[in-house]
Amino acid sequence: MSGVRADLLALVPDLGAWWYALALAPLLLAAAMLLVVGQWPTRPGHRVVHRTSLVAATVSAIGVAGVAVDRPVVEMSWIPSLGVWFSLRPDGLSVPLLLLTAVVGVVATALHLHPDREVRTVAVDLEDSDPTAPIPVVKGIDVPGLATYHACLQLVLLGALLAFLAGDALLFFVGFELVLVPMWILISRYGDPTSDRDGAAVRFLLVTVVGSSLVLLGILAVATATGSTDLQVWAAQGGSALGRSSQLAVAAALLVGFALKVPVFPLHTWLPWVHATAPTAGSVLLAAVLLKLGTYGMVRLVVPVVPEGFTAWAPLLAGLGVTGIVWASLVCLVERDLKRLIAWSSIAHLGFVVLGIASGTQAGLQAALFGNVAHGLISALLFVVVGGLKHRWGGADLSHGHAALREVTPHLGLALVVGMAASSGLPGLAGFWGEIGSVLAAWSPSPDRPDGWFRGFAVVAAVGGALAVAYTVRVLREVWFGERLEPRIPDAVLTERTALRLLGVLVLLLGLVPTLLLSITAPFVEGVLVR
Amino acid sequence: MPDLPDLDWSDLQLPDVPLPDLPMLDLWGGPAHWAILATLLAALAGLGLTGRSNRLGAWVGVGGALTAVVATLWQLYTLTQIRGSERELGTIGGLALGELEAPLRLLVSWPTALVAVTVAAVALVVQGYARWYLWYDPRYRPFAATVSLFTAAMLLVVHSDDLLLTLVGWEVMGWCSYLLIGHQSTRSAAARAAGKALLVTRTADIGFVLGIVALATGAGTTRTTEVVAHWSDVGASPTLTTALCLLVVGVAGKSALFPFQDWLPDAMEGPTPASALIHAATMVAAGTVVLAQLFDLLVLSGTARTLLAVLACVTMIGAAVLAFAQADLKRLLAWSTVSQVALMLAVLAAATTVTGPDAALQHLVAHAWFKALLFLTTGWLGVLVGGTAMAVVTSGARRYRVLRHRFGWGLLALAGVPPFVGFFSKELILGTAEAGSAGAGGMASVLVLASVGASAPLTAAYCMRAWLVLNRPTAIQGHAAAYHPGPVDRIDDFFDEPQIVQEAEGVERAEAAISSSARMGTSFLMLMTVLGGLVLLLPVWGPQVHLDLQLTLATLLLMAVSALLVRLAAGGVRTRDAAARIPAAASLAAERGLYADTAYRALVATPVLALARAVAWFDDQVLDAWVRGAGVGARLLGRVGDLTSPRRATPALALVLAGVVVLAGIGVMVP
Repeated sequence: MSGVRADLLALVPDLGAWWYALALAPLLLAAAMLLVVGQWPTRPGHRVVHRTSLVAATVSAIGVAGVAVDRPVVEMSWIPSLGVWFSLRPDGLSVPLLLLTAVVGVVATALHLHPDREVRTVAVDLEDSDPTAPIPVVKGIDVPGLATYHACLQLVLLGALLAFLAGDALLFFVGFELVLVPMWILISRYGDPTSDRDGAAVRFLLVTVVGSSLVLLGILAVATATGSTDLQVWAAQGGSALGRSSQLAVAAALLVGFALKVPVFPLHTWLPWVHATAPTAGSVLLAAVLLKLGTYGMVRLVVPVVPEGFTAWAPLLAGLGVTGIVWASLVCLVERDLKRLIAWSSIAHLGFVVLGIASGTQAGLQAALFGNVAHGLISALLFVVVGGLKHRWGGADLSHGHAALREVTPHLGLALVVGMAASSGLPGLAGFWGEIGSVLAAWSPSPDRPDGWFRGFAVVAAVGGALAVAYTVRVLREVWFGERLEPRIPDAVLTERTALRLLGVLVLLLGLVPTLLLSITAPFVEGVLVR
Repeated sequence: MPDLPDLDWSDLQLPDVPLPDLPMLDLWGGPAHWAILATLLAALAGLGLTGRSNRLGAWVGVGGALTAVVATLWQLYTLTQIRGSERELGTIGGLALGELEAPLRLLVSWPTALVAVTVAAVALVVQGYARWYLWYDPRYRPFAATVSLFTAAMLLVVHSDDLLLTLVGWEVMGWCSYLLIGHQSTRSAAARAAGKALLVTRTADIGFVLGIVALATGAGTTRTTEVVAHWSDVGASPTLTTALCLLVVGVAGKSALFPFQDWLPDAMEGPTPASALIHAATMVAAGTVVLAQLFDLLVLSGTARTLLAVLACVTMIGAAVLAFAQADLKRLLAWSTVSQVALMLAVLAAATTVTGPDAALQHLVAHAWFKALLFLTTGWLGVLVGGTAMAVVTSGARRYRVLRHRFGWGLLALAGVPPFVGFFSKELILGTAEAGSAGAGGMASVLVLASVGASAPLTAAYCMRAWLVLNRPTAIQGHAAAYHPGPVDRIDDFFDEPQIVQEAEGVERAEAAISSSARMGTSFLMLMTVLGGLVLLLPVWGPQVHLDLQLTLATLLLMAVSALLVRLAAGGVRTRDAAARIPAAASLAAERGLYADTAYRALVATPVLALARAVAWFDDQVLDAWVRGAGVGARLLGRVGDLTSPRRATPALALVLAGVVVLAGIGVMVP
């Protein structure tokens, strides 16, 4: 087996730092091109825009794969007076997230954007179900502003890749911020007009701006103390440049900043609103990539950099994480909007991730990193399904009568079952290993953690796992089971089917062979926690 | 009573037979890998690759199960060739979890290998049967794939030497049962039963997960043998007791012990092959396998044993009583499963280190044969007569004589009548419980011995009831008996006897209704209810129990008396149903499982939903209010700034902007 692997790796051309050009340039070029093209008086057809965007994302994905294999390092002096370097340095922590971003980027750009539709004011089960009622179009059509929409997607991907690649705190922050504005445009301009679009956009902007300000504050504090913005230097010093009280303060600022992004209870209330509004691709990117910036930031900028401060806050963080698990799962039992429900379940899953990080053990960190990637794939899959359903139904309200998915749209139905099963932690699918690993780690946290508290957290997290099954049963019973055939909706189209298959296969693969991912992150985790 | 000598089980066991030397094939992996992988791949292929062809789906499903049977049989042979009769195998390699070792290995020993053969064989029969039973079902392929996945999960649990792998198989089985019970997803009753099964078992699994987590983290590894060794060295401790009690709770959920018992009878909403699989060889039996693997720890904790004994004994007796009162044959069998699985778990609580846990596994094997047989035969009868309600199946075994032996043997084995397989396994259970109560077993063993003794006549009673109903003479036979022709010799043509004609028609109709492979499967199971005794007598089982022949005779006598009482009670009832003597209110309560469903809803579902509503309200009205308020505040500030600042850009502002740009340029350009 290892021989075959070596042979395959030998086939990869050795492009060195050019892999970065392949990974980042297409996104930048496509974004610029689409932004310009969008302003022309005679706009190009939707196929051209869509394909340009898809090709750019695919080429960039190939570049990211090359980066993941070769892991070239780029170091260029950027702002020498401040000691800031333009350094790109992928490692075991960032490579899985880079690959995740690349895959999800292809999926997000492949999905069709749909124009705003008439709101269905009368509940479907009250109006006469008319077999000849028009079936909503799910294929690509010309939507005003399509070029700008795709440009925003490219920029989000670019920012996320930059943040994950960055070996320098300031560069990380640039990527972190770059994501913000295009995402805001995606929500406020292309979001669902029937929902509270303004409220969602304002919530998103406020929360992320407050979060980034705190993160910037933390970065500046550490940078002034250490005299460098190099993340490797920060990790090597391990907070020795800061006193205990300043470590506590820096850790608090950074943790709150990232917790807003993750989001951790009780800073989570923006997420359901934003997801309910965002277009399908926006939701996919938000769940699979943007939220990961928060957890990535915690592991990269807090755990190794201010270890003492993190240790002090860890019990509180873990407590909030498990509260979030139970809290969000409970809300899922009564939430009426399917898209919001999936957003709530995201909060619950990220609670497990936060618990794993806070436990301070290698097992916990490994589980957290695994859960992070698994959640990215699973939530992307679920949002593709649910976004498609919302468009077809003309709203995601569960209390309106819908045709049973198993009867009318078997493909979407199967994808929903797989996604919900994975999200409720069914072993054999990706969600399981992260959750059980976090519970295992919380039961025996690192020696400097109060283990009585952490055992309590483990119990709460296990209860949350059972609640996840409860809302899964609820969703499947309301949407998948049943005998209703009206109103008829079309099944997944080719792009959706391909995207769902890709994500489904990855979810299954990670679930069956978790060692694939764990072996990538293991060296990094050992490096962080062995000291 | 005459004074009878004690008998050692080892005296009854078969002698060692020299086996021929077969060439050992040098294949990739071990037989356990093949068995698990074949069924797993059959499940994936059945979902993904069979397209729209039911024929291909059937080949894939049956092929996977057949491979598993061959592999597990081959595994038996390989065990005879290995010294120590244990075999370790790796799987996907260890998980890199830092301090915690998770090697994810498999372990094959004689008891687990025999259980694996049973599981694979029952799965094969079920696959063949399902191909017939769901011939016209548009969702046959997902069903076959789910059955394959179910089998793979159970085989994984049986072979697992890692607590994480056990948990993987355990949870996958829960999901598979959900899909199988909800197979007819257009019926709301099926959807409800499926959700209930998953929710009840998963709620109990909170205990199972935490128990596993506590055991594994304490030992620093998830490998079962090492976990057992670690905690055995430590000895009895509060942590161990807590962990084992949590595990027992999880097992109680999956094995439908009180107070989780109510999901299993409802699971009858699934198609009959699914019921046969869930009840016979997988799911409910998994708890027995897991606790048998952890038996060395279970004996260390008196509290956990007592908890298990109490839950199992309450369930054993209660379910046997409820089974008697059911008005549907399938539900009767379901409650009998609840009772019999409780019997397996009770013996684990009663056993001591001297006797070992093998009696539980032997009963698991025996139960798999006869319960699968009874379910599949009931399904066959249900197709013929259009239902499984007691009133409908009346005289079923007479009208369709081909079913007569299948029902008869299955019920005799269930009741534990010699020489059927159930007799041997129940003898072992009695012997183990007696040895435990005489030895170091303590209260738990005494309790189990008394309950097993009490459950035997109850089991005989409901078996007798079912048999009397099924075997009631048909109307024509009744007339023939009433108008006995008398001593006058009549020379009739053979086929002029209306009774003979009817019987011949019945056999023809029954055999025409079923496919030959499905019928062969039930025949095989029928054979195993007799020959299965030989499997239990193999010299590879461990228990060194003495059989108290007095106890055996007394039990058999009690069974005979209770059967006789049932026969008396059945007299005068049109359908020969002894349960018709039960008052209507009691009968209704029994059919509804003593209103356990109402209790679940009142005690768990309603409070949780109320809490959820409260949480949702609080989240919206309190937590989100801050964010909303901040948004409004920011907008107001913006409005104020908008109003106070001049509408036109002033030259001063342009100067400030230019200055900023220049400064920024200097800052970046000049190092």
